[in-house]
Amino acid sequence: MTVVSQTSPSVGAGGTEPGEGPQVDRSGRTAARRRKIFSYAILLAFTALYVGPMLMLVLTSFKTLPEFFKNPTGLPESFGFDNFVEAWEQANIARYLVNSVFYTAVATAICVFTSVLVAFPIARGYFKGAKYVLLLYLVALFLPPALIPQFQLILNLGLFNTRTGFILLFLVNPIGLIILVNYIKSIPRELDESAAVDGCGYYRFIFKIVMPLIRPAIATVTVLHAIGIWNELVLPTIYLTSEDLYPVTRGLIVFEGLYGSNWPALAAAVLILMTPMLVLFLFLQRYIISGLTAGAVKG
Amino acid sequence: MPAPPPLINSSESTGRMKIVTRDYLFARGWKSAAPILLLLPGFGLYLLIAVGPSLATAVYSFTDATGIRGIAINWLGFENYDEFLFRGAASRDNIAALRRTLIFCFFVTTIQFCLGLLLAVLLNTRLRGRTIFRTIFFMPVILGVAIQGLIWKLFLLPGGGPVAEMFSWIGWSSEFLGGQPRQAFAWVIVVQIWANVGITMVIFLAGMQTIPESLYEAARIDGASGWQLFRNVTWPLLTPAVNTNFLLNIVGSLQAWQLFLVLIGYRPGTQVLGYLVFAEGFGQTSGSVSSAFRQGYAAAASIALFMLVLIIALAANAFVSRREKKYLS
Repeated sequence: MTVVSQTSPSVGAGGTEPGEGPQVDRSGRTAARRRKIFSYAILLAFTALYVGPMLMLVLTSFKTLPEFFKNPTGLPESFGFDNFVEAWEQANIARYLVNSVFYTAVATAICVFTSVLVAFPIARGYFKGAKYVLLLYLVALFLPPALIPQFQLILNLGLFNTRTGFILLFLVNPIGLIILVNYIKSIPRELDESAAVDGCGYYRFIFKIVMPLIRPAIATVTVLHAIGIWNELVLPTIYLTSEDLYPVTRGLIVFEGLYGSNWPALAAAVLILMTPMLVLFLFLQRYIISGLTAGAVKG
Repeated sequence: MPAPPPLINSSESTGRMKIVTRDYLFARGWKSAAPILLLLPGFGLYLLIAVGPSLATAVYSFTDATGIRGIAINWLGFENYDEFLFRGAASRDNIAALRRTLIFCFFVTTIQFCLGLLLAVLLNTRLRGRTIFRTIFFMPVILGVAIQGLIWKLFLLPGGGPVAEMFSWIGWSSEFLGGQPRQAFAWVIVVQIWANVGITMVIFLAGMQTIPESLYEAARIDGASGWQLFRNVTWPLLTPAVNTNFLLNIVGSLQAWQLFLVLIGYRPGTQVLGYLVFAEGFGQTSGSVSSAFRQGYAAAASIALFMLVLIIALAANAFVSRREKKYLS
């Protein structure tokens, strides 16, 4: 009894070790403080590894080219926005952004919508062999990469280097489907029955009742899928050859190729293109982290 | 008002109950075709762009398919595999790439796993500012490879860049990404870990949050110290997250190659298998239909990579489930 009453205050004061007497308790507290300082030291060292590259990017984007060559690492002499203007004009940034938004929005909308229509009858077992269809989505994660036959398919459909062909590549997401199926299973079946009895059609039921109820799962899948498309670099490299069709990732690499050592302009372009994502991330952090890790865990 | 008696009465077997439910619903309310008709677009797309091509990879690996439309495709049998693994200087390069893939996987997996665990342990306390730290370490994940790569290319600028400056303080010098293949390769490992340790950390943190605080309190009362708490409470109870991260890191790093594309391009002595597939199938830096890329050969290479991933993943999975049995039973 005495042990408990002596240790509980020290536990309350920040999870330190238990002590058997007052003097041990004090040494426990200094140990805790030392551990705290040690933790902060490690965390701040790591933070430097993350903030450092960003800081370098920001500083570079404000330098003139001669200034950058003379002193790449130091502070810029003045903070002007010339590089941003130059990057915006030279790098077709507006076009890349419009393209990326278009691909991401259209493909994600179609993917999520069609996935819900697949996931619902699977989750409910409303057709023969629903179990096997689900299995087909599960094993997809263990099948060989589809890169080359996919290319042959798009090529032979005549969709190489077209928006349609590019979007077609992003219309399915097996992990997203599995997330949806699992979530739909948590909705009581009685709902379907009473809706059917009351004469609510299947289509209306999915739209008006299922979709709103599974909103958290839809949000997760949307985030997972949209970020995947937005950040995709390889597929635009393979499938799009006209610059007019490039999304931001591909545009950046092309701009890098053209502007090689003009790091100030390139840094400005990178900053412009990463800002929307960063802002979104800061506001929707909870959703984004859970969306991406749900994808990671299920994958 | 038709009541649902068949549903309630048929409690003999669950299999039977399902059938009854389906008949009941579709007979009185919904047309039985509706769910299937509405499922078809999504499922059809899935077969067309994911499952079909995925299985067809194996078929293409036995042919001499190119990247040009309309050229006849011939059956080669095992020739692509033979060439990939056994013939001439190219096959020695391929074997070297395979070895490099394994080295990349080993370093990325172990370091990312340990750092992710360390960060999660540090952030799973009542430390002030821990959400800010978490945000910072997760940030690269959402930026994607193109931006991750460009940021590090600038950070690793040889001759006057920040890392070069710091190296010069302690008398080191490095060509970084432009240096010896071995050196450039090592820096790609660094960036790969930097970019992805956030995911590992978040998965560990999620696992730690499921461990009840009362267990720690009980262990403390028994006199357990910080290390003992970790060893005897956190580590065993973290088993699901440990296994997830272990498998994810292995499979992810075996298939990762895009940072190589952004950071150093297709350089001899640095390629991993994933990059090899891309370069053979679509050219070294960008795709274009004008040249005759060897897609059949690339398909064979991608099957080889797939087999490697499969074997290692199965072995890792066996290891992991043994561990799970030990800790969770």
